[in-house]
Amino acid sequence: MKYSVKWGQKYSNVDLESIPVEKLSASIGEQLGAIEEIVDLSHKYKDIYIVEVKSAIKHPDSDKLSLCQIDDNRIVKDVKRNKAGLVQIVCGAPNVKEGMKAVWLPPGSTVPSSFDSEPFVLSSRELRGEVSHGMLASPKELDLSDEHQGILEVHIKSKYAQPGGLFADAYNLKDVIIDLENKMFTHRPDCFGMLGVARELAGINNLKFISPDWYTQTDVSIPSGFSSKLNIPTQVPRFVVQVIKGIQIKDSNPEIQSLLTRVGNKPINNIVDLTNYYMQLTGQPTHAFDYDKVAKLCSGEVSIFPRMAKDGEELTLLNGKTIQLTAKDIVIATDKQAIALGGVMGGKDTEVDNNTKNIIVECANFNMYTIRRTSMHHGLFTDAVTRFNKGQSTLQNAVVLAKLSKDIVEAAGGKIAEGYDSNPAMSADHWPAVKVDVNLINSRLGSDIPAGEMAKLLSNVEFKVDINEKTIAVAAPFWRTDIEIAEDVVEEIGRLYGYDKLPVDLPSRQIQPVSKNTEVEFNNRLRKILSSAGANEILTYSFVSEKLLVNCGQDPKEAYHLSNALSPELQCYRLTLTPSLLSKVNTNIRAGHDKFVIFEIGKTHLKAHGVNNEGLPGELEMFSLVFSANDNTTDKNSGAAYYQAKKYLDYIATKLGLVLRYEQLTEKPEYEVTKPYDWKRSALVSDHHSGTFLGMVGEYTASVRRNLKLPVNTAGFEVNYQSLMEVASRVATYQPLEKYPGTSKDITFDVNADTKHGEIRGFVEHITEELSASEGLIFTVIDLDIYQKPNSKHKSTTLRIEMSHPDKTLTTQQANKISDKIADFVNTSLAK
Amino acid sequence: MTYSDPKIAKAFELLKKEFKGLKDKPAILRSNTLKDLFSEIPKLPVEKRSAYGKEVNLLKNEVTSWVDEINNELNLPVIDVTAPYDINVPVEKRPQLLSPELGTIHPLTKEIEYISDIAYRMGFNVETSRLIDDDFHMFTSLNFPEDHPARDDYDTFITTDGLIAPAHTSTMQNRMLINYKDNLEKGLPIAVIIPDRVFRNEDLDATHEHTFYQHEGIYVAKNVTVGNLIATLRAFLSEYFQQDLKAKIQPFYFPFTEPSFEFAIERPDSLKKGDTEADQWLELLGCGMIHPNVLKHAGIDSNVYNGFAWGGGVDRLVMMKYGIEDVRHFQSAKLDFLRQFV
Repeated sequence: MKYSVKWGQKYSNVDLESIPVEKLSASIGEQLGAIEEIVDLSHKYKDIYIVEVKSAIKHPDSDKLSLCQIDDNRIVKDVKRNKAGLVQIVCGAPNVKEGMKAVWLPPGSTVPSSFDSEPFVLSSRELRGEVSHGMLASPKELDLSDEHQGILEVHIKSKYAQPGGLFADAYNLKDVIIDLENKMFTHRPDCFGMLGVARELAGINNLKFISPDWYTQTDVSIPSGFSSKLNIPTQVPRFVVQVIKGIQIKDSNPEIQSLLTRVGNKPINNIVDLTNYYMQLTGQPTHAFDYDKVAKLCSGEVSIFPRMAKDGEELTLLNGKTIQLTAKDIVIATDKQAIALGGVMGGKDTEVDNNTKNIIVECANFNMYTIRRTSMHHGLFTDAVTRFNKGQSTLQNAVVLAKLSKDIVEAAGGKIAEGYDSNPAMSADHWPAVKVDVNLINSRLGSDIPAGEMAKLLSNVEFKVDINEKTIAVAAPFWRTDIEIAEDVVEEIGRLYGYDKLPVDLPSRQIQPVSKNTEVEFNNRLRKILSSAGANEILTYSFVSEKLLVNCGQDPKEAYHLSNALSPELQCYRLTLTPSLLSKVNTNIRAGHDKFVIFEIGKTHLKAHGVNNEGLPGELEMFSLVFSANDNTTDKNSGAAYYQAKKYLDYIATKLGLVLRYEQLTEKPEYEVTKPYDWKRSALVSDHHSGTFLGMVGEYTASVRRNLKLPVNTAGFEVNYQSLMEVASRVATYQPLEKYPGTSKDITFDVNADTKHGEIRGFVEHITEELSASEGLIFTVIDLDIYQKPNSKHKSTTLRIEMSHPDKTLTTQQANKISDKIADFVNTSLAK
Repeated sequence: MTYSDPKIAKAFELLKKEFKGLKDKPAILRSNTLKDLFSEIPKLPVEKRSAYGKEVNLLKNEVTSWVDEINNELNLPVIDVTAPYDINVPVEKRPQLLSPELGTIHPLTKEIEYISDIAYRMGFNVETSRLIDDDFHMFTSLNFPEDHPARDDYDTFITTDGLIAPAHTSTMQNRMLINYKDNLEKGLPIAVIIPDRVFRNEDLDATHEHTFYQHEGIYVAKNVTVGNLIATLRAFLSEYFQQDLKAKIQPFYFPFTEPSFEFAIERPDSLKKGDTEADQWLELLGCGMIHPNVLKHAGIDSNVYNGFAWGGGVDRLVMMKYGIEDVRHFQSAKLDFLRQFV
């Protein structure tokens, strides 16, 4: 919302103009809202003067140019003058003539229309052999309007509009435009008008604002006699029109043109400009139709009325576009066809043009939600939409239309004729009062403001306030549609009083400790464990492409899809984390990282998980890690990458006090989480103690590797975070320290090559547990070596058995006996 | 994979059978069953081609993966997954953890831990947010009527099932108010912060991400004042920046708070900028007194209890802290970026 300080002042009873801009902007910031920018127009129109053209003759060397001598009352220094003190200008405008008053941009001044973009600074230069000292300016160059056929002829009669007078003074341009952030005013339709903002500025500066009489008259009525009807009162709460006959279309006066241009409205003609003027002033959009064009679209008597559009109905808008309407759009129509998109934009067929003689001015109120939906649906974002979708007041239509019509007659001649008001009883009065306990207001604000002061703050912005002991009854003026509950009054008083004046103190608190969130804490714990093991935590998007899922062997149909994704790359919610991690491997390898471990903890979504008790998709937190090493720099003898991933998983298990079980697969499991993995080189992982299934660890299938350009030396895991957390919550076990030295024995088992290491260890653990139970021994088993001769069908697995006894030192003989027992048991068991 | 087009589903079954019987496995890619599916495309009505074509491609991909799996060159032998390391690998080449020096925690999660720690110390519970939510939690329970223009400020991603990728952590407010309602009866406040991931339908550039992190704070008790809000946030941010800082609020509009503010804090020494008035302040949060309708939606009597809420970005704090030039680095998983945050 662009606020012109000059424009606001025109309608303000208090002096807002002389408040310094810095002070004004500071108070706006503290008590009204954010400022996008402040533009001081006096900088833009600096050093530009009114002049009189003393002579204008044809340029000796051009048919189109004129050679002019101008009088600036010798106000500009350092410019070449003739004996009479006049300055020479070469001018290309067809309308330049002797005796006219014009606007001169002397050398060194900036063309105002270029001020905000690339400033163009004038100089003295030759045009076909004749020197021009600066130029005479067109309305467009002065950024007043789009008119550029000729130079601006100054008709204004004032002491400033004389040769040597400042253009900015003559045209009242010493103005400041404050661009206020729209979002701030989502619930303040009145602040989309100069009047509304001016009132707020008065209020926050503790000044009593009084709106102009014409705006607050409660007895304004619109003449009747025009044929209309209102059958959709929930969509169009009020519909008011006024016919004006015998008007003459011309340009608006320069002041109106200039004011509209300042706030971004393009001047068009006196009628359209005035409708825009009152929209900018009051926040109430209006629309003028050409009466005679409307008449031709009526089968009988001239009549317009609002209705819902029909699906597929067409309407050509003022911007020239033809749109297909839907039954959710409001239109203004004759009995034969739609002529305007209600509250959004007028229609081309009934546009006011240079030949218009009679007009119908419509001033209606529309359902804000319907307007927003229509605007979004058709992609039309107009000044009217910005205002109507904030919920304008239904009580201001008649006063605005009456005043607008009066001004139209003044500017364009003509006569007020018949009119229509769907709700003539709605007058520009206050709304019913909201009663609020003064203590409640002070308790919410933490303040101690007396009721009388509250009343004063509110009445400054034209609320009606009655104080009744401890209660104030607050009646909002008709333009406010946001005061409904006590909290609204609290906000109003807090803001007008000044939040910076409120006492600031921390809430008091009991010393009850806050429980930590175990999931969050476990998360932090995992991160620390892994980062201390050289792994890097990554975060990747929750959205992935269908292609990535397919490339990882997953089924995109299992994924929740976005209907408005930014790109196909971000179309699906990920099913598991692994594909996201794998998609980041190749870029890091290419960036020169030869060996790395990345991990992520995050939520995943699978349709197969169904919905939770809220009816929403279940969210499964997963924990995934990927090890990768550049094949070109990796030693061929270091074995399968699988063992690297397993190393990390075992490390985490150790840190969490867990022992994990790795289960060899015999066929490909069909879960989304297992799909990227090569079952021949992967294991299902579970907690040894509880048997809880945790996830999958392993290498990836050949097609995943190919699709994602992964090194063969890539492996990882994905485990269920919740399950891992649950099994890790057990308390760690403690072994009393050994009092007597232990001893160790290495045993080598010569077994078939396909015997699983886990099987051997399983037997070892079984027998050692038995021996622990029967003889009280304490064992630790360490994997020492796994060796297989080339082409041999056997391998030898060497384990180190460390043993001790809490009550005695073991002799070599005893140790040998135990180790023999173990070897025998394992060999017998394996032979079975 | 399941195929919805009956023709493709049938072809899938046929191909599976064919593949089993084939000696020359890669020949499956030249099978007529597959070719016929492709030659079907031009015969279809235009509007059906894209969906059909997509599925055929998915099928071809799946069939290719069968071939990949038996392709000897790519295919690797079974390994003993129960072993601690591969056969014949000498001691010095066995799996090892990488050097601790290389390991890092992501700067965003580290920041969230830091923020959460302050919140704990101030008596707040820490919770996480959902990544798929519904219209009720994202909007309705927060006093955004349907078609309200305030919804325009949240460019939300919608799923084809009509669900929402939350555009703010406030999507958890209603749940938190309900979950912690018992606190009020025990005479304790509801005090929760929710740092987590949110989404906005915004084109990516150096300062805009469609995926980023926010933290939400909620405080509800008896007789909570605007001054409590200002003091709490000031204390929180002063602790965050390790410096006692001035604060100021600016009126704002959110449907779920009344009154609503933008909260600015004095620039800490570590982030000093120029000398203008605007340079003195850092706008960090949106906040306000919780709207009675929001409390009502959670079954809390707004005549007895009231409170405040705030929400702020995490990414921007981290970018300022380290001088990170491009927000896109956060989710890039680039090790060159991540390894700087030791």
